[in-house]
Amino acid sequence: MSDLFVIGAGLSGLMAAYTAARAGLRVQVVTKGLGSMHWAAGTVDVMGYTPEELSRPVQRPLEAIQALAHSHPEHPYVLLGSHQVQVALEEFTALMAELGLPYGGAGGFGALAHSTSGDNLLLPSAVGALRPAFLAPSAQLAGDMARPEPLLIVGFTGLRDFYPELIAENLAKQGFQARAAFLPLSLLTEQADRNNVHLAQALDLQARRLKLGGELKRLARAGERIGLPALLGLDDHAAALADLSAAAGAPIFEIPTLPPSVPGMRLYKALRARLWRMGVRIDVGLEGIGANVIAANGTAGRVQWVETATTTSRPLKHRAKAYLLATGGILGGGFDSDHTGRIWETVFDLPLTIPQARHQWFRPAFMDPAGHPVFNGGVAVNAAMQPVGADGQVLYANLWAAGGALAGADPIQQHSLEGLAIATGWAAGQAIVRALAQ
Amino acid sequence: MKRIETEILVVGGGATGTGIAWDAALRGFKVTLIEKRDLTHGTTGRYHGLLHSGGRYVVKDPVSATECIHENRILRKTHAHCIENTSGFFAVTPEDEGPYPDKFLEGCRATGVDCAEISVADALRREPLLNPRISRVFEVPDGTADSFLATHATVQAARHAGAQILTYHELMGLIIEGGDGNRRVVGAKVRDVAKGMDVEIRAQMVINATGAWAGMVTQMAGVAISVVPGKGVMVAMNHRALNTVVNRCKMPADGDIIVPVHTVAIIGTTDERVTDPENLRIEPWEVNLMLEEGDKLVPNLSKARVVRAWAGVRPLYQEDYAGASRDATRKFALLDHKERHGIDGFITITGGKWTTFRLMAEKTVDLAASHLGARKPCVTATTAVPGADQGNYWLGHRLHEIEEQKLQGQLICECELVTRAMLENAAKQNPLLTLDDLRRDVRLGMGPCQGGFCTYRAVGIIHEMGKAGVWEGDAGHQTHAAEEWDVAYIQSPARNVNGSGSVGDRPQQQGGSVGDRPQQQGGSVGDRPQQQGGSVGDRPQQQGDRPQQQGDRPQQRAGQTPPLFNPNLLLRDFLQERWKGVAPILWGRQLKQERLDELIYLNVMNADHLPDDQLASAMTDFYLFDTTPNEHEVHP
Amino acid sequence: MPMHTQSWESVGPSLDECIKCNICTSYCPVAEVTDKFHGPKYSGPQAQRFRENGQPQSPDHSVDYCSGCRVCNEVCPTGVRIAEINARARAQAAAEHGIPLRNRLLGRSDMLGKLGMIAPGLANWGMRQGFARSIAEGVLGISKHAQMPTWSREGTFASWLKRSAPNRLRSERKVVYYHGCSTMYYEPYVGKAAMAVFEHNGFEVVVPEQGCCGLPLLNNAEFPAAEKYHHHNLEWLTPYARQGYQIVGTSTSCTLTLKEEAPDMLDIHTPEARDLALAVWDIFEWLRELHAQGQMKTDFQPIDMVLPYHPPCQYRAHHIGSPVMDILPLIPGLDVRESHARCCGGAGTYVYKKEKYQIAMDVGQELFTWVDEQRPVTMTACTSETCRWHIESATKLPCRHPIEVLAAAYGLYDLEKRKLTKE
Repeated sequence: MSDLFVIGAGLSGLMAAYTAARAGLRVQVVTKGLGSMHWAAGTVDVMGYTPEELSRPVQRPLEAIQALAHSHPEHPYVLLGSHQVQVALEEFTALMAELGLPYGGAGGFGALAHSTSGDNLLLPSAVGALRPAFLAPSAQLAGDMARPEPLLIVGFTGLRDFYPELIAENLAKQGFQARAAFLPLSLLTEQADRNNVHLAQALDLQARRLKLGGELKRLARAGERIGLPALLGLDDHAAALADLSAAAGAPIFEIPTLPPSVPGMRLYKALRARLWRMGVRIDVGLEGIGANVIAANGTAGRVQWVETATTTSRPLKHRAKAYLLATGGILGGGFDSDHTGRIWETVFDLPLTIPQARHQWFRPAFMDPAGHPVFNGGVAVNAAMQPVGADGQVLYANLWAAGGALAGADPIQQHSLEGLAIATGWAAGQAIVRALAQ
Repeated sequence: MKRIETEILVVGGGATGTGIAWDAALRGFKVTLIEKRDLTHGTTGRYHGLLHSGGRYVVKDPVSATECIHENRILRKTHAHCIENTSGFFAVTPEDEGPYPDKFLEGCRATGVDCAEISVADALRREPLLNPRISRVFEVPDGTADSFLATHATVQAARHAGAQILTYHELMGLIIEGGDGNRRVVGAKVRDVAKGMDVEIRAQMVINATGAWAGMVTQMAGVAISVVPGKGVMVAMNHRALNTVVNRCKMPADGDIIVPVHTVAIIGTTDERVTDPENLRIEPWEVNLMLEEGDKLVPNLSKARVVRAWAGVRPLYQEDYAGASRDATRKFALLDHKERHGIDGFITITGGKWTTFRLMAEKTVDLAASHLGARKPCVTATTAVPGADQGNYWLGHRLHEIEEQKLQGQLICECELVTRAMLENAAKQNPLLTLDDLRRDVRLGMGPCQGGFCTYRAVGIIHEMGKAGVWEGDAGHQTHAAEEWDVAYIQSPARNVNGSGSVGDRPQQQGGSVGDRPQQQGGSVGDRPQQQGGSVGDRPQQQGDRPQQQGDRPQQRAGQTPPLFNPNLLLRDFLQERWKGVAPILWGRQLKQERLDELIYLNVMNADHLPDDQLASAMTDFYLFDTTPNEHEVHP
Repeated sequence: MPMHTQSWESVGPSLDECIKCNICTSYCPVAEVTDKFHGPKYSGPQAQRFRENGQPQSPDHSVDYCSGCRVCNEVCPTGVRIAEINARARAQAAAEHGIPLRNRLLGRSDMLGKLGMIAPGLANWGMRQGFARSIAEGVLGISKHAQMPTWSREGTFASWLKRSAPNRLRSERKVVYYHGCSTMYYEPYVGKAAMAVFEHNGFEVVVPEQGCCGLPLLNNAEFPAAEKYHHHNLEWLTPYARQGYQIVGTSTSCTLTLKEEAPDMLDIHTPEARDLALAVWDIFEWLRELHAQGQMKTDFQPIDMVLPYHPPCQYRAHHIGSPVMDILPLIPGLDVRESHARCCGGAGTYVYKKEKYQIAMDVGQELFTWVDEQRPVTMTACTSETCRWHIESATKLPCRHPIEVLAAAYGLYDLEKRKLTKE
């Protein structure tokens, strides 16, 4: 029996597991599969756009969080308060520095308080739009559009997930000096069918990246910085980045593109390795399918155990002192739905703030700046990240929730995916440590 | 203004119109065809894809049944590569007991539709997911058809025979000479909506082959006819589940057929009388009904993943129309406006169904020839279109070819197995304005992820082709394409390998040499002048007559002339076009998929914050048609 | 046998879960080292949409390079049965192209076992001869580098059972033991260790008539033959399941086959198959449950050593977590270290095939490097027999079944000599 049983191995679940394990709790993580980080850009987006200002990126996200307090009291950030968010982000940056995958912000690396300006970075995306992100891995930092150097975007002929001319043209349209160039894909691989992760693994070999660096040096003009698809090494990424920059004689940065996300996979593997070292067991392939609870009238109930699916019809029962729901929302598989408009949380059947009617789920345009209502709802929690009912009362005394499953935000639309995960995961971890100490 | 002189002007680029252009050109007429959007954009590209055996009509409409089986046999030869020989079942479910099955058998005999009763055990062995409670099964020679490919192939054959095909050319008005009782249609005023140019086309005969839109065209000549748009909603399941067309053995009704076409199974269809053929709303009750009815043929089908839904409009012609639209005849109507309304040089063909398009074209050209003077006889029944030499297509052909040629690393649309060379060749050799046009060519974005991964790739590739000068000096390439559209092998990965297509001559692909491409050395990349040349124009007529659409687009958009092939516009248009078809069926797995697509485009790409967001194409408003669910979960 | 969707319970329809994210391909250990295999998504849910109706199948043999390790299933965020879809595609291809004699041989572990047992010494000697192995490689395509299992020199497990029958514990508490072919013909000591553990915990062990689970046949795409095997086992074992016996196995692959592989791959979803599946337990899953009820004896003697333990790929498919890691760490002194390597590479009979041997070695490198990092160690452990043989061959270290370690901790078994202390 563990102290904390975490369902979901996304950023929020792993952040909570880390927080709890560091405080000495015995933690087990189960997850149906991998996702989340493997799809996203690998940056830490805290608040890119607010519900009030959908067309212009937020300049100072921690300040924007404070401004949300009046307009969106149900937003998870508001429940936590911007100070807690900042502390959680500091924990995260310290952790990533320790793991050799350092994250920095507009002002550089280190503790947030004195190294970042509090401004969002604006990083070029794979179509050449500017992405607001608060923190980015070092490999993406030289892409910040606040920097003055002109950009050389380099792609590989035949690589299906990166189009440098499109990026350069769109950057130019936005007033930046940018141009595109191609290198042959054979610099990375002789094989005919490789995805971005395989190509990143190819650059784990030093000989290959030195060769690539030499070609980049030939292409770059004095003073340029070089943008490449995000595949600069997987397990030996830090050395790959250093070797490439040195060989090219220019600042190098990665541009994340279609899933699977190499920067996200690096992040996942780094966190996983840290948790393994702390003795946290991560069981991938265990899907939470239900729970046994004691419901109580008037007071909070208790989760008795959580069940995961097995090959036979004997579900596996997991007992722990505390449980954390970190299964994500619709995309993570934490919610399921059907054609009648029913939508439900899949493990504890917690109440959702999403209307049980399909006609209230969508707006007519895919890119409607206000987003689609179905993606804004989820599990309502209190300030301690414990799921609450409509009356605001805690439902189960030993259950917490974090990340994409939470109500009150559309983290994809608002570019707050990782920020929310880190802040709520950390906060839930802290709350659980406090609760179990009593 | 551009002027064109022709003998026959065909209005409408669906199966019927293109069939007429093909037939008339083969008989030696000078033919021009105009279509206001892309080929098949009206009804032809929005049906369930059944190659009728005629079985569905043997009781209710025996004439149609006989026509169907006759044409079924012909099209299997002339358009072989556009047809899959699935065969078809008529199954008697517990709800279909009664006298109908015997009437059905009798009807098949009377109309010449081949039909054999097979044992239920046999049917279940062939289709294990079929409802085990069925009591009788009849097998008929149903098939399924790729109506996009078939129409393209017909057009290529027509062009070989000398026809001129103009897509994105919208009919603005008919040119009519003479007074009462002696009026004559002598041509048409047309708008090239891609270039924003007016075109005048003079013709001795105007053939109105606009199907459900036919009444709107005759109205331009002051003639009212009754063509009722009968809207049908179709729901596509993510995989085939069945490999045989399965019909309920009963009087045709809503949701009584499942058609396996390419990689999906389509449940069809509803039948709602609508006033506007552009009304393509998909009501939740229609989707729910399709799923409930589908379950009667294949239990639990409704729990499988739905990939998309769409609506099409049947042209239902009735001299004195009244009542439910399915009861209107599915026979076609050929109207000689000289005889009926005293207007010379004007014919309307409407009604009918895809399976009989060739016959409709033959009869129409016969009538035109009776006015213009006969030339050669009709030969379409014995003339194969380009590509028919490949024989019937089969589900696994793309997989097979990709593995044979080891093209796995070339896949751009992974769901539907579209390679880069297929995409490039289709883009280069066929006219296109949006990625949706490419979709119809090669099935881009038609699989489970609905453009989630391939939209970005296709936009990047088209943009690179433009930069490499593929369309150099042809800013209006959407009507140019290659000298001859090459569609014969458009869907074949093996016939579109690098080097075989003319696209392969891009500098960076040949040597694999390292370095800048010449045209990029100038420094920063910006808009190139020739990209800004084309203009889409005001599109006043498009915005006015569709009240359901969002009318509140920013004013400055209307007058703006977007550069052709603006990548940001291509991307936005296609994502919205794909959204339009998934919005009605978003729940469960497809909702999850949509959220991943959102993560990609709204977050990782941040594509909703790209430049050029005020640009609109000729199709932008059409794609913005609201298809999200309303509260009507049952038929109101 | 038609391979297309037989029912909604078939593995094929799970392709509907795929959201095309390619995480599976990114973690696939085979696709990582060779592009002869185009990755689980390509061969699985993607190609499956083009595969219905018994139409001609893939002309290349890329799906044949899937080793069946199920890393794809494990990492898939949506639950696509990718490895099973691939296995069925392999079977379909085999039905069309025919099955090579080699695969027919490797698929019949029971028959090979019986053959070798006629003269195990001679058979083992033959297997070590370079000349004979070169012929086997040339004629059959069996890699001459792969280490073949050695036939038992102490007789079969059944013969020992018969010999030792008078010494068996009688008890009210009973359990059925499913030993599988490897215990029967190659490693009877694993079965002896298991018997000792059962009896030490007070259980009378019933070993009923049983046949090969059929997994090697499934792996080598011989579905009709596998179906026959499975029906025999249903006939022999389901009655025990229905009487309430727990049927416990030491081979993770055999138990998985009885639980899931056979019913799913063969589309046998009968009540008999369900009842049997529900009664089958992996031995450490069973011990964990016993321990959770406070009924497992923990009268261990310390074992002072570092033990690198590799959970075999089949545990992934059992979806029971890592039960060995719930039990072995209870042994005082034992420093059990769990490998996080994705696969040893052996993948059942995969490594024996000439064209796949190098791939298997490359895949296993992740594990072998890790084992090296744990040195000095005297032995490793793994729950699956073919993995043990492959790991032994690659690391040159003995590899034990964890039940042998547990039996040793109870003082019942000599871990080095692989025999019962009272034997």
